[in-house]
This record gives sequence, C-alpha cells and structure tokens, in this order.
Amino acid sequence: MSYLLPTLCCKGPPSPRPEYDLVCIGLTGSGKTSLLSRLCSEATDNIGPTTGFSIKAVPFQNAILNVKELGGADSIKKYWSRYYQGSQGVVFILDSASTDEDLEMARTELHSALQHPQLCTLPFLILANHQDKPAARTTQEIKKYFELEPLARGKSWILEGSSVDNMDAVKQSFTQLIELLEDKDQDTGRI
Amino acid sequence: MKVKKGCNSTDAGVPVTSEDELLRNPVISPEDVLGLQKITENYLCSPEENVHMIDFTRFKIRDMETGTVLFEITKPPAPAGEKKDFDPNGGRFVRYQFTPAFLQLRQVGATVEFTVGDMPINNFRMIERHYFREQLLKSFDFEFGFCMPSSKNTCEHIYEFPPLSEDIMREMILHPYKTQSDSFYFVDNKLVMHNKADYSYSGSP
Repeated sequence: MSYLLPTLCCKGPPSPRPEYDLVCIGLTGSGKTSLLSRLCSEATDNIGPTTGFSIKAVPFQNAILNVKELGGADSIKKYWSRYYQGSQGVVFILDSASTDEDLEMARTELHSALQHPQLCTLPFLILANHQDKPAARTTQEIKKYFELEPLARGKSWILEGSSVDNMDAVKQSFTQLIELLEDKDQDTGRI
Repeated sequence: MKVKKGCNSTDAGVPVTSEDELLRNPVISPEDVLGLQKITENYLCSPEENVHMIDFTRFKIRDMETGTVLFEITKPPAPAGEKKDFDPNGGRFVRYQFTPAFLQLRQVGATVEFTVGDMPINNFRMIERHYFREQLLKSFDFEFGFCMPSSKNTCEHIYEFPPLSEDIMREMILHPYKTQSDSFYFVDNKLVMHNKADYSYSGSP
C-alpha cells in the first residue's frame, strides 16, 4: 500500500501538494463551468448557468488549485467582489466568438478586475475560450482589443486560446499559472 | 478550499463543553461546538431555526488520487403542492455504507450542493466532527463565506484522512455505525442547522 512506503524512506512522508485559492470569473456563457468540470474529469452534458458560486479542487501534478467559480449572469456579477478576498490568482474566461457588444462587456469586466484593489497584484490567467468556433477571434486580436499590453503592464498575466476540444492545452495554460503562483509565493517569502 | 484541521478543543483553545450545557444556551456559537468531546445525542437546534432556507441538494465523494466517484446522492425536487415530510428530522440524518477499502484512502474530495433562500448570507460556516465511539477522529472547520440570495452553490473540499492505526481501523470495520459525525452550520456565528451521519466500513448493510 502506497501509504506505507514513504515512512520506510528516511525522508519521511512526501509533503502534500501546495494549494492555491483562485477566483474564476467571466461573462455568462464564456465556458467557465465546462472548462473547470473537464479539468476535473467530470461530465459536462448537464451543465446549466451557474447561479451562485462553485468551488472545485482541481488537482495538478504539483499543486491543487481551489477554484471559486462565479456565475456570470448580470444578477450575479454584482456580487463578484464579495469573493475576491483571500484569492491568490484570477482566471478570467471569455468567449472569443461572442458578439462585439459582449466582447466589449468582457473587456470592461476584465479591466475592472485588473484594477480592483484585491486583485491588482495577483497573477491572471486569461483564456480566450471557444477557439473551436469559426467566429473566434485569434489571441492576437484579443490581446490587442483588450489592450493587455498597456493595461496589464507590470502585472503577471498569461493569455492563451482555449477550447474544450483541447484539454491538454488548457492544462498546460494552468501549469503556466501555477508557475506564476509559485514565483509569487517565493517573492512574499511564504512556503 | 482550505479546511482548518485538527480543531480539537485544545488546538482550538476553547473550553470543553457538553451537550447539556449548550442546550441551555439561547444561541450556540462555533466555539461552543468546537468544545464538544463526543457525538451529541440530540440535535442542537430545530429545523425551524434554518431561517435562511438553506437546503442541501446534492452530495458526492470522490477519491482525489484516482478521480473515482465513490458516492453520489441527489435530493429529488419535491413536486409542487406535495406535503413535506412529516418527520421533522427527515433529511437531517444520512447513513453511509462503505467497504473496508474506504479507510485506506488518503484524500477524498467531498462536494456539497446547497440552495439559499432570498436573503443573502454574510458568513456561512460549517464545523463537522467525526468520532469513533467516544474518540474524536477529526474536526473540520470550513468557511463558505458570503452566499448570494436565491443562489445554488457547490463546494468541494478536500478531506485528508487522519492517520488511523491498524487497531482503530479494525475496530471501525468490526463495529458498523459506531463511527458518527455531527455537522454544524452557522450563519454569522449562530447555529442554524445540525445534521448527523453514521458510517459502516464493513462492506455489508
């Protein structure tokens, strides 16, 4: 039994994986619940709009991400900031194939989050989701439209395209975020 | 979500309390239940005290190492117009039946889904205490924090199994339902719900 082996080795039991608390936001329909469920190997056929919060422990090889996903409907968005306290990182998901109007709304929300006092020093993973749709804008276009270079200067952020059809790439994006979180931990002297 | 572990009375720095004492208090606080040394005989609050209309609708356990879902139960929605359970404590108690292999697990993810009535909740907190006979095995303390009005929320927290000696595990397997838990739920530090469960690890009903 694997439980016994570590105690035979002189080093003792392996240290548990570090955990990081993240908040996951984005407009309704951007795909937050679907992506997070797939990361947890859960069924995604019965997913409806999230009408509150959904906290998931997403395991990776060298960390566990405790992600607090918040519904994106208008009635819920107004409560987002109630959940920012204690976050160590942000995942922002947007629909790359949405209407211009919705894209503008997503931009407004992302800018708000980037400037929010409780989030502005944290690493951001921005996923330009629904890349599989024909109308999806490229990540270059998204980066330009969202003005990430000027607006997120000095902050640590990652922008990647994503689609539920390619979960390996999504995992890779999250692994990059974990590296940013580890760096930040070392900077603040936390273990 | 990080769960505060090891909340034995001495760890938590709270005085030891007894069920009888607490039943005399008008309000029961988190510190009160952290002092309890054994499973309660009675429920420490009535179903009517759940003024925020918190309703648990789904529960699932999975093994974090393999991702395998070990147990899942969903509360069927009550059809409109049907009378609620006559048993006031119906739905406050669950009996779990596991095989001995369950005790070998190290990390389990427990997902709970709950709905909230039309009042927002500022600070929702759960303290769950597991005992085998009179021995406290583990205490979990989890803050959900703010809950939006009329919301449906899910939360998965990771339970790390306490290291159990072979002796205790053997006893737990031999004595079904002597492993028991109390789950206490607080809104703004006031007890509003109390659920109970017991557990068998013998693999048979």
